Amino acid sequence: MKQIIDNLMLSAAMAAILAGLPVLAFSQFRLPAPPEKPERIERVEKHDPPAMPMIWGGDTSEKSIKVDSSINLSLCITQGTVKVNGWNRNEVRVYVQDGSKFGFNVREKSSRTGDPIWIKVMGVAIKGKYGAPQECISGNEIEIDVPVNATIGIRGNETTTTIDTVRKVEVKTVEGDITLRNISGGIFAYAGQGDVSVEASTGAMMLETTTGNILVFEASPSEIGDSFKAKTNGGTISLQDLRHRQVEVGSISGSVLYSGVIRNGGSYNLSTSKGSIRMLIPADSACQLQATFGAGNFSSDPELGIKLLTENVSEGPIKSIVGKLGTGGDAAVKLTTNNGSISIRKQ
Amino acid sequence: MKENCLDIGIIQSFLDGEVSHTESARVSGHTAQCDDCAVMLAEAEDQSAVVFSALEREFNTLVPTQRLWNKINDSIATERANRPFWQKAFAFLTVSLAKPSFAATASLLVVVGIFAAVWMNRAPVPADIAVNGSQSQQTTAAVVPPTLISRPAPVEPEIDTTSAPTYRVERASYRREKRRVNSAPTTINASANFSTVYMPGEESYVKTISSLAKTVEEQKDGGVMRPSERIAYERDMAVVNDAIAKMKKEVKRNPRNESAKQVLYSSYQNKIDLLNSVSQKEELLVSLK
Repeated sequence: MKQIIDNLMLSAAMAAILAGLPVLAFSQFRLPAPPEKPERIERVEKHDPPAMPMIWGGDTSEKSIKVDSSINLSLCITQGTVKVNGWNRNEVRVYVQDGSKFGFNVREKSSRTGDPIWIKVMGVAIKGKYGAPQECISGNEIEIDVPVNATIGIRGNETTTTIDTVRKVEVKTVEGDITLRNISGGIFAYAGQGDVSVEASTGAMMLETTTGNILVFEASPSEIGDSFKAKTNGGTISLQDLRHRQVEVGSISGSVLYSGVIRNGGSYNLSTSKGSIRMLIPADSACQLQATFGAGNFSSDPELGIKLLTENVSEGPIKSIVGKLGTGGDAAVKLTTNNGSISIRKQ
Repeated sequence: MKENCLDIGIIQSFLDGEVSHTESARVSGHTAQCDDCAVMLAEAEDQSAVVFSALEREFNTLVPTQRLWNKINDSIATERANRPFWQKAFAFLTVSLAKPSFAATASLLVVVGIFAAVWMNRAPVPADIAVNGSQSQQTTAAVVPPTLISRPAPVEPEIDTTSAPTYRVERASYRREKRRVNSAPTTINASANFSTVYMPGEESYVKTISSLAKTVEEQKDGGVMRPSERIAYERDMAVVNDAIAKMKKEVKRNPRNESAKQVLYSSYQNKIDLLNSVSQKEELLVSLK
């Protein structure tokens, strides 16, 4: 009897296995699951490891050279705080505290006065009794005095740069803030990681930073046609009292603030992918307005008297408003945000 | 027969080897002197030969003793206990499948199992299987398999709305393409995989992004970016990709939406700028070394 029961159990088990095998095999080809939702990008606050403490202990030295008033000075700095100041003397003075030795490399002289018009500050590496030139210098603090009409070109790695009262500036740093004041002839500034701030300057401007903010206060063109461009990936752009007519500003995940006049014949293009756009303009402003926004809304101050020409705010990923402020005029303002609100307020 | 002649029983025992040695010698000696007993022995031998030939198989078979039986049974039990399951199952199957009824049942179960699996794997039938003629056209246009999204939409035939509605049953099946294992970074393909039909000027953006992305992927893994920068970069890239995806979808839905087109181009430009920022930093770092 026991054997019969055992046989029955075994028979049932084998039958189940036989029936289950094909099911198991085919079950691997089930219908596909619905498409996965895109992964939610969580903003994780991470901090970089603390930077290595700066180890100074080099030499402190100062050198100067007589130059032409419109000198072009270029230098490369690996590390340190740089302050460039314009003065009313045809002389370049460089002071390096606790840093590398340096020298002046005259690249070109003026055919009229014979004074240098292009010099380069070079580092000097001491090897035994002799010194070998090297491209970059470093120091705890680097102070440079140049003629007010000078053009400054700086490339830096971990450098905090402040430049005041010179004619033209071109600064590129990997890391560190850039502060520029009283630049009269134009600015090109790029900070890999750091803020860029410009104050009381004129000329064409191109300001760019990867993760920092861009702050501009009192900037205007020195010639008709000078444009202003500012671009950041993850920072905020704040423009106050900007008087350029060609303004192109873009951020990816930051907000944009414009506070100033809208000049007749100007072209203002402010955009961000994920952030809000705010404009503070005088009540008597006149322009053609085009506002495009996605997940957000558009609001304006009634006192500005915006007259809507076309409005497409139906459900959808993108909405647009076309209208004019005041009498309209020939200035064009174009505001675009994919994910944020747009507001225009009276100053 | 004489009085001292041998008994037939003794002669039979002698032939069977069942007498003692002394008795065997006495029987042999007597048959040598007694003709009657010799004749009787010869007849007994003939009879035994006939019987033995008939029963030879039975006599030659070894008859196991009870002790041997016990040993054999013990060995079988031990071997059964040590045998793996699959051998038992195989042995059982081999034995069982010899029975027609079991084989038939097993075959039936296999068929039922396969049928069940195919049934489970069957494509779902859309809810609106039966629609009228005009609706069916719309449904066909709307429900485009994902694999065909990138292809140009077929020209819709004109629908004669005046004719009587004809009913048609359609069944749409959905099969996902085999998932491709792509070692290329996701950020590259996020926009490249959307479509192969480009708007004017879009292809150049896509190609530029594709070529830039290859370079940038190597650079950003090469230590150009700090962790916080990397996080910011990936976040911004996700924002841009999301914008591109949304705008592409909107443009596909409504090709006349100029705002969506502008935002799409702007997003492409943002992506290029974002990729360029990595290259720009790399170049700057190299120039400082």
